[in-house]
Amino acid sequence: MSEEITRRDALGKVVRGTVLLGFAGGAGYLVKKANGQIVWQVDAAKCVNSRLGEVGAQVCTLCTSECVVSQSAVRAVNNFSKCGRCYICPAYYNIKSAVDEKGLPSEKLCPRDAIERKPIGLIDPEDPANNFYEYIIDEEKCDGCGICVKGCKEPLGLGSIVLKVRYNLCVDCNRCAIASACPKDAIAQEQVKEALEIEGAAKPVT
Amino acid sequence: MKSIKLTWRSVVVLLALVLLGLTLASKAPGQAMHYERPVETAPQPEAIGGGYVTPEVQKPQPRQYWLQVLDVVLLAAAMGISVWLVLSQRSRKWVLALTVACLAYFGFYREGCICPIGSIQNVALALADPGYSIPIVVTAIFFLPLLVALFFGRAFCGGVCPLGAIQELVVLKPVQVPRRLDNALGLLKYVYLALAILLAVKPAISRDFVICRFDPFVGFFRREGFAHMMLFGGGFLVLGMFVGRPYCRYLCPYGGLLSWCTRLAKRGVTITPSTELDCGLCAEACPYGAIEKMRAVRKECFYCARCYAACPRETKSGAAI
Repeated sequence: MSEEITRRDALGKVVRGTVLLGFAGGAGYLVKKANGQIVWQVDAAKCVNSRLGEVGAQVCTLCTSECVVSQSAVRAVNNFSKCGRCYICPAYYNIKSAVDEKGLPSEKLCPRDAIERKPIGLIDPEDPANNFYEYIIDEEKCDGCGICVKGCKEPLGLGSIVLKVRYNLCVDCNRCAIASACPKDAIAQEQVKEALEIEGAAKPVT
Repeated sequence: MKSIKLTWRSVVVLLALVLLGLTLASKAPGQAMHYERPVETAPQPEAIGGGYVTPEVQKPQPRQYWLQVLDVVLLAAAMGISVWLVLSQRSRKWVLALTVACLAYFGFYREGCICPIGSIQNVALALADPGYSIPIVVTAIFFLPLLVALFFGRAFCGGVCPLGAIQELVVLKPVQVPRRLDNALGLLKYVYLALAILLAVKPAISRDFVICRFDPFVGFFRREGFAHMMLFGGGFLVLGMFVGRPYCRYLCPYGGLLSWCTRLAKRGVTITPSTELDCGLCAEACPYGAIEKMRAVRKECFYCARCYAACPRETKSGAAI
């Protein structure tokens, strides 16, 4: 009886040792391959709303509709260093709407009124068209529908507005629902450092 | 039915109306502008003037790395505490406290991600696909509970895993599932495990992480989710009142891996033949059918410590069951 138990114990030890070795090998291989923290990010050069050469009037709103959290973890970001600060911004105004008495388009483009417009720099009070304007996207209101991104695309705008993942809302799903739905594979996992660089889809500022 | 007669007069009137409408429309402020971009490049602060400074772009940071490492440390610590509470302290009360704490942290605070169960898919994919890699944190989260299982059994399941914890807390009036049915249903988790690995290692275009997609409780942890998944999860919780931890016993793919490792475990909950009373109270107290013929079935034991609480010897003298 006792001998049998020791034999069983010895066998158990051998098997356990083998499994442990297997674990160590697997874990070692994975650790060697590992390359730091990765997060989901939108590639502006691939996203249909921002990439150049993509024609078609339809705005892709999958980033809003597919995200598993209630307010989408994707939002529009205005890269200020690329923004034209136009008097009439094609992402702020619906430039296809009727012109009002001030000579501005009567409708705004954002369905949630998430963009704030204010004159900046040396302000000319006489002629509003002679001023530069800053367009700030309210993160609380934005749900990443991409309408303004499309509005700002070249040649109408300078392409300073792009869609980006906000990591305070993103729950980092193993299989991002937006990525699965995206027709252009524009959402992919990237290294944190790369993911935090904000680049517009348009040509760099000269 | 009266037919409408189209007379010359009515045609003339209609035409006149249409013409009037068109003229009105062109006069009204209905015209969109012809838009052209006024600038070729972005104006820089010097051109804008007035001391303007280009503002920073809003960038919420991802969860910091040290916090992710903290998750691994807490996971290891919680499993250590679970082993200590069950094997040494033998306290149901404290195991319950650990369960609540882990449900609060790994479940409701960390919102169920990342977990060893879902990491099966990433590990399988990273092993199969040379181009895919996972962070060290994920590797650690996957292997730690298996390591513990190799020595002590399913300490992760008891009180640490948030999916298990939420079911643990709803156990109300568990029925003993007939042994044969229990065993047959238990095979489902291996089918699910194989399916999940198969789908995870497929090429990117058809790849799917089903374990995460059909995680029944993650919706509760996030306090939002698809209606059908909330219903699915709610169904599991209602079922869990009468059948102890149905997801863990019959579906959890990681549970399958853990129970394989547990077969090799050195220590675990044991019923000592020399001190037992053969009263069967422990078997009755076990909601998971892990005590069979007065012996603990370690690979099915979830480290909940209910059997200690039910043991007359235990409560009287602190002796072993």
